[in-house]
Amino acid sequence: MRKPGWLLAVPAWVWLLVFFVAPVLQVLWFSFGYKPGIFGTHANDVLSLDRYAEALTPTFFATFQNTLGIAVAGTLLCLVIALPMAYWMAAKVPSRHRGLLLALVLVPYWTNFLIRTIGWQIILSPEGVLSHLGQSLGFGPIDILYTRAAVLLGVVYNYLPLMILPLYVAFDRVDPALREASKDLGANRFRTLFGVTLPLAQPGIIAGIVLVFIPLMGDYITPTVLGGARGNMVGQLVASQFQTAQNWALGAAMAVLLILVIAVTLGVAALLAWAVTFPLRARARLRLGEAA
Amino acid sequence: MSRQSHIRILAPRSAAPYIAREISRRRFLELAGVVGVTGALAACAPTVKPSTQATGGPVEGELSIYSWGDYDAPEVLEAFTSELGPTITMDAFNSNEEMIAKLTTSKGTSGYDIVVPTGVFIPGMAQNGLLSKLNLDLIPNIQHMDPAFLGQDWDPNNEYSICKAWGTTGFVYDKTVISRELTTWADFIDAAQNEASGKTSVLDDPAEITGIYFWANGIDWNTTDPDDLDAAEKFAVEELAPHISRFDSYPGGEAIPQASQVLMQVWNGDARIGILNSPDPDRWQWVLGAPKTELWMDNWAIAAGAPHPEAAHAFINYVLTPENALAELDYIGYHTGEAGIEEAARDAELEMLDLVFFTPEQIATMVNGEVTEAQARIVDIWNKTKAAASA
Amino acid sequence: MSGKRRAASDVALGVWGVAVFAFLFAPIVVVVMSSFNSGRLLVAWQGFSLEPFAAIVSKPAIRDAVLVSLQTGAIAAVVASILGMLAGIALARRPGKWAAWFIALLLLVSVTPEIVDAVSLLPWLVFLGQDLGLPIFNDGIARLVIGHSLFSTAVVSYIVRARLIGLDARLEEASADLYAPPVRTFLRITLPLVAPAVLAGALLSFTLSLDNTVIAAFVQVSGSTPWPVYVLSALRSGLRPEIAAVSTVMLVLTLGALAVVWAVLRRSGDSSNQIARTLAGG
Repeated sequence: MRKPGWLLAVPAWVWLLVFFVAPVLQVLWFSFGYKPGIFGTHANDVLSLDRYAEALTPTFFATFQNTLGIAVAGTLLCLVIALPMAYWMAAKVPSRHRGLLLALVLVPYWTNFLIRTIGWQIILSPEGVLSHLGQSLGFGPIDILYTRAAVLLGVVYNYLPLMILPLYVAFDRVDPALREASKDLGANRFRTLFGVTLPLAQPGIIAGIVLVFIPLMGDYITPTVLGGARGNMVGQLVASQFQTAQNWALGAAMAVLLILVIAVTLGVAALLAWAVTFPLRARARLRLGEAA
Repeated sequence: MSRQSHIRILAPRSAAPYIAREISRRRFLELAGVVGVTGALAACAPTVKPSTQATGGPVEGELSIYSWGDYDAPEVLEAFTSELGPTITMDAFNSNEEMIAKLTTSKGTSGYDIVVPTGVFIPGMAQNGLLSKLNLDLIPNIQHMDPAFLGQDWDPNNEYSICKAWGTTGFVYDKTVISRELTTWADFIDAAQNEASGKTSVLDDPAEITGIYFWANGIDWNTTDPDDLDAAEKFAVEELAPHISRFDSYPGGEAIPQASQVLMQVWNGDARIGILNSPDPDRWQWVLGAPKTELWMDNWAIAAGAPHPEAAHAFINYVLTPENALAELDYIGYHTGEAGIEEAARDAELEMLDLVFFTPEQIATMVNGEVTEAQARIVDIWNKTKAAASA
Repeated sequence: MSGKRRAASDVALGVWGVAVFAFLFAPIVVVVMSSFNSGRLLVAWQGFSLEPFAAIVSKPAIRDAVLVSLQTGAIAAVVASILGMLAGIALARRPGKWAAWFIALLLLVSVTPEIVDAVSLLPWLVFLGQDLGLPIFNDGIARLVIGHSLFSTAVVSYIVRARLIGLDARLEEASADLYAPPVRTFLRITLPLVAPAVLAGALLSFTLSLDNTVIAAFVQVSGSTPWPVYVLSALRSGLRPEIAAVSTVMLVLTLGALAVVWAVLRRSGDSSNQIARTLAGG
């Protein structure tokens, strides 16, 4: 008598098939074609993997390294900054204020991204607030605009909320009684943190990493606004083929490679995380066994 | 020329030489690309209905303009509406490619009346039926234009377009850091490699980067010679890229007032805005690129299938009056191509007009870009330069 | 002794939290200050003025762009929430072989770069609108909504699924056992259960839509330039303080709305926390 539940997913299926799969398959198809003369964007009468070979030139590789470096460093920095922040919000702030604080984390997002990054430029410019502060404190002028540090600052700033939210949710779900129990059983605070709290927050950590890392890999505007030339990303290569060079075949091949690299990187990260936490989990089981 | 032999265009015989020349213009490639994309879709589409030609009938109640953002003086737009009636809808694009893609794919139903393409795109747009011919009888104020900015290569009889604003490329440097005098692109390169290393920005556009090398060394900007392109790549990647800190098309908006760079390749109007708004304007020196540099022109044009052709003509005619042209110049900071506007601007005591007006000798050193088969190569050089600069 | 150390660590955490908020709001404060700039350029301070705020009224292009963005954001949020809610419920309650395929699709949607969505959507929407003659696809807002709803639908699906998986299915089963019609079970039991997740997802969709530039630039038509596209294109003649003024107004309205919501939710107990908690995967 129960209706098949997947019927509920049909609207989303249809929506994504019509407005995502159909148009994107078309682009995937382009990647096996070529650019016919200077007046066409793509042709598919001869199919080949040549565009993929073309896409794997040293330029693409160097840019890929840069992109991966920025994305990994940015994601890790977000994690390091967001962990104590989310823990504070979830465990230390009175619960009636928590919703408000979470909303406040999102508020900067409601200003246009270009405008808020320009806000940073004003702060960081050689004649700006930070530099004057540095001078009056005796550090001399601070000039980090268009350096690698500025790339990371821009990236962390724009993606931090996407890390804080899932971490908060995860910490919020950890029952305070568990931490108390751990302490009562004689564990010190670090052991409680690494043995109980962090492992229980693991789903949030994973969600946060995915939410930050994936869009960051495809982004090509945020890193350049503050980082200038140091923030060169693969997304820029893809966009330049579609827009300026009008070589859709090559652009599509680059996009497909980008998607593959994101998937592989996440897969490797998942494996690594599993391998690293394996002894931790084993010990946790052991300890639970002792306690029983 | 052999590459062009397979293109067939229906055109009057007398126009053939123009078309043959114009079709190779650099930017046309990008347009043709977009056209090609939708070619398959267009094949089964109903044919575009011929655009309605304005005849001087009553002005419609609305007008839709598709242009660069914030590119017209608000008081001119308001005055037009209050004097002649039509309410104006303004839409913005970020690049010519974007605008052409929009017009092409909507096949005459975009709803736009006036568009503002850069000159080199116009022949291609006209040939692909994206533009409607102007009825110059309805634009008597074209008489106020300086003939030097009418009849450009891309539209010799102003059939489709009239100059809206034009500009050129040069650079700005910080005199507190670079004490010697820079005057040419060769000086730009030398300063970038020395005093301004790591504090240099270039325009975020493929042809502007190869342009620095070609202009400095007396090579045709639109060359397709593989040796020239190889040399340009070697220069850009090995000699220039390590010193570049940013690819920035609008340093006047931020970098000059904030003094965050020492040496910047920049368009003239943008440089002027930046210097005017700098807390220390005397620190900055503008240099027009030499011995050769670029000339670009944005133009008023009417989209094919424009729903309000009378209002569109009325508007173009309206902005060409000397007062309105001056208001526009004052607002956007670029020369609008009117005769006598230089005197009017000096009488109105607008500032830093040497960044807006140039002598005929200077204008003679400015060249137009073209679409050539080297386009893909130039984009490749640009991407390699960016990769090298990020290291 | 231990009590003192504990207090010290709490203080350290509190300082860290406040510092992070300062970091998040530092550029916003600068933008708000810039919106009172009498000068020509946003970044170059010349003097105090309310002029930029007047420009919001006198420049219809700015107002229209903001309205288009707000409208698009709201509709995209509704579309993504409904589609994502239904899909999320199905994923959580009726997982099967299809679910693996569906999750794979959602993942693909989330890893596809925006520029690819943009260039593939444009010719496709034109094909639907012009060649198949479906006028809805010629509408600017409709196109923007479609473009912005793709990633958001995937995100809402994840959030709703995560929320439901954490909750017992027995309530719904009981309702069905008591012969409640499926629609009633859905409205009375399932919907209230997923409501916080859907609200959270809607908020996130709205936020993402407000900032979308790449897809928006490609699919917009006459009369529907959204705010981010306007800002980017205004670089050509230098960003004016008006742009900061618009941001300030939007910020004030947002904070005002937040204050109201907070005041209301405080009365209804802990539910604000419930909403917040389900954000992004609760």
